[in-house]
Amino acid sequence: MTAFFANLNFRKLVITLTVSWLGIFVLLPHLMVVGTSFLTPDSDNFAIWPITLNNYRQVLSETYAGVFWDSLVLSGITTVIALLIGYPFAYLLSRMGKATRAILLFMMVIPFWTNSLIRIYAIKMLLGKKGIFNTVLVGSGIVDKPLQLLYTDFAVIFGLVYILLPFMVLPLMASFDKLDQSLIEAGKDLGANAFNRFRNIILPLTMPGVVAGCLIVFLPAMGMFYVADLLGGAKSLLLGNIIKNQFLVTRDWPFGSAFSVFLIVLMGALLWLYYKANQYVQKKGGMDDQNL
Amino acid sequence: MTRIFNSGLLKWGFIGLVFLYLYLPMAVLVTNSFNKSKYGHKWSGFSLKWYEELWDNDAMMQAFGHSLLIAALAATAATLIGTLMALAIHRYKFPLKNATSSLLFVLMMSPDIVLAITFLIIFIALGIQLGFWSLLIAHITFCLPFVVITVYAQMKSLDPNILEAAQDLGASEARIFRVIILPIMAPAVLAGWLLSFTLSLDDVIISSFVTGPGFEILPIRVFSMVKVGVSPEVNALATVLLVMSLTLVAVTTYLINKGKTLNDSE
Amino acid sequence: MTLNSLFRNVTAAAALLVSVSASAADDKVVIYNWSEYIPDGVLEEFTEETGIEVEYNTYESNEVMYSKIKIQGATGYDVIVPSSYYISKMSREGLLADIDQSKLTNLKHLDKSLLNKDYDKGNQHSIPYTWGSTGIGINTDDIDKSSISSWKDLWDAKWQNSLLLTDDVREVFQMALAINGHSANTRDAGEIKQAYELLQKLMPNVLTFNSDAPREPYMAGDVSLGMIWNGEVIMAQEEMPEIDYIYPSEGVILWVDSFAIPANAEHKDAAHQFINFMLRPEIAARTVDYIGYATPNKDALELLDEETRNNPTIFPSQAIINRGEFQEDVGDEATALYNDYWEKLKAGM
Repeated sequence: MTAFFANLNFRKLVITLTVSWLGIFVLLPHLMVVGTSFLTPDSDNFAIWPITLNNYRQVLSETYAGVFWDSLVLSGITTVIALLIGYPFAYLLSRMGKATRAILLFMMVIPFWTNSLIRIYAIKMLLGKKGIFNTVLVGSGIVDKPLQLLYTDFAVIFGLVYILLPFMVLPLMASFDKLDQSLIEAGKDLGANAFNRFRNIILPLTMPGVVAGCLIVFLPAMGMFYVADLLGGAKSLLLGNIIKNQFLVTRDWPFGSAFSVFLIVLMGALLWLYYKANQYVQKKGGMDDQNL
Repeated sequence: MTRIFNSGLLKWGFIGLVFLYLYLPMAVLVTNSFNKSKYGHKWSGFSLKWYEELWDNDAMMQAFGHSLLIAALAATAATLIGTLMALAIHRYKFPLKNATSSLLFVLMMSPDIVLAITFLIIFIALGIQLGFWSLLIAHITFCLPFVVITVYAQMKSLDPNILEAAQDLGASEARIFRVIILPIMAPAVLAGWLLSFTLSLDDVIISSFVTGPGFEILPIRVFSMVKVGVSPEVNALATVLLVMSLTLVAVTTYLINKGKTLNDSE
Repeated sequence: MTLNSLFRNVTAAAALLVSVSASAADDKVVIYNWSEYIPDGVLEEFTEETGIEVEYNTYESNEVMYSKIKIQGATGYDVIVPSSYYISKMSREGLLADIDQSKLTNLKHLDKSLLNKDYDKGNQHSIPYTWGSTGIGINTDDIDKSSISSWKDLWDAKWQNSLLLTDDVREVFQMALAINGHSANTRDAGEIKQAYELLQKLMPNVLTFNSDAPREPYMAGDVSLGMIWNGEVIMAQEEMPEIDYIYPSEGVILWVDSFAIPANAEHKDAAHQFINFMLRPEIAARTVDYIGYATPNKDALELLDEETRNNPTIFPSQAIINRGEFQEDVGDEATALYNDYWEKLKAGM
């Protein structure tokens, strides 16, 4: 076996494997989706000639503008909430002793190891009219009738933040780790109060972590339509739902493909924004050696 | 003001709240898995019957087994291929290198639903019947970028002098990889495997598009049950999965630490 | 572990797997059915008696089932259970296999009036399994039953953000079409548009769409009024007798679900055996008891207890049936129009 590897030009093998796997299972399919987006739908054959721009016209039509907006808002709110919870959490954790920090971080990640669907199911049980939240609220007299928590935007955001919170905390922790305590000390010595220390030292230096965390939460949130389906009552069409519907229900593959391409481009744009924001932050901070 | 913010109460109170948020749903599930009552609104006694029903639920156990199998195979294959990819990107120069990195990036960033469609289209085009193999290939593929990133990050810390020395001494590429690179990379490779295993086990969207009738997997089964309503077997399943993951993570952490101390002592 | 031994182990495992998954012999049948549509125990009994192993998968809409069958080239599944309007569509497209009626010795038990319908003359491609209706579900503890009698009542502003609708484009449109006095199977673009406009006014009242188990939100207390399938009410009443079913005055939605065999199914013989098994009066009677839907099996009716046989939720009177309308295929063009409006409604337009 050793001889086999040594003789068969190892280097060539590795390169060929890499290029061909990615070529066949990533590049080609994506190209095919792009190609399909220019074809015409057909109820018998999924997609046929002629070439048309109709699908893209449909994507940009009024109906879907609302869907885009809804998805953006939902993901946006999720990201902001995750940030509001995750930032102080990461900060507090970073200030603890190594052992405590390791344990707490581990504990935060444990739920992540359970299937996300099951966790959504748990939330569904929690938020129902007969669930724990309502039982406690009614029992303690805060409200006299159970609240409609399930099948609302609240439930969807609750679920999304629940699943994506670790993704916000981890990059933030990495950022806080790299925070040079001596800088904060210097600020203190120079007379800056806590708020100013935060605003002028800590916040700018942790910006890369913030941006990374936001991205890692925002992007998946846009695609996790099953959370909206299960917790939101399948009422609103999100980007992911539309694509799924086009391929499985309506069977308009060209349109579904056009939508997918649009989604990828959108993601790309957001990532480009991240890249630019990162550059800007680094320039402003003047910390060129901060390779975050 | 600073004193209040730094006070242990506020600090630990906040951390406590966050953990409450994270653990309450899970705690409810685990508790109810032992609850005799089906609906979990009140406790009606300790019982293991849901675990029994889970065990008896052939379809569920079969789906569970399939998922574990795919996860293990996909994680192993992805780790293998991904490590080699990381090697290629780190060490070798080849014409399509930038394209390769970009493709891996696209792969990682594409939303699941889009990936699901790309897989569907290519499998139909290649005439691969939807089932075990389509599922496996899809899982391996979407795990790849995560393995590559994990391993590549570690590779950057390899001392190039050692590698050069080995080359000067006449070792073949394969040998260098096997004897020098791989052992040092062990923790990262293991981490990559673990990550892939988790991602594969958790995947819903891609799997529902590319699996076929002959090979049902867990997330799809759970999805059906969850949509139908209260299913105490799901509670039992959740507890089992939790224990399994905990064990897996504990074992892996132990192995990594063991590996680290071995490395340190060298 | 060295790379070599790892490689060997993986290859061995893969080889084992291929052999296992390829050994699908003729003693197996793969069934693709609506969720919760077969009584507990029936599948095991079938296997015990015939030795044929059963693999069971579920779907929650005709569209998804159709797409999967189409994508896979009408193979992979041996028995499917499409609604009537999909039977006509799928047989038109050659996706269904011919049913060999000589193999179905129990066919004689079926009520002739449900055979040889327009959507499948001579029952070449389908054998009716159950028939049922979609009407109004209500929690009588929360809402006075006498205050609700028609689809139109659901449009009342006081139900804002509280209704359940089935996640089915044809059913939801049928509501609006019935209110407007049009046929549920209309292909007229004007009539469909009017239905869409009427439905736009209903959307603020919707809390959730559900076609997996519409009874679930009622039972969880999140919903007290809305659409529901009659069988779901029967199932819900086991735990919560306050859940009830109302036949709307404009006309209830009626449908028939039938067994069919995909054109390229691998185990056609086992499929026929399974269908024949399900046609037994005892099995059909159990089906009614368990899932609450009416059976076309006239000999099974005698096996039911009186209460079940006279339950109007399961067996509506002839008057109600006449006022209602069965779903039929409307052709590709109209279907696309319905789907288009459906997506608009869901997108909030």
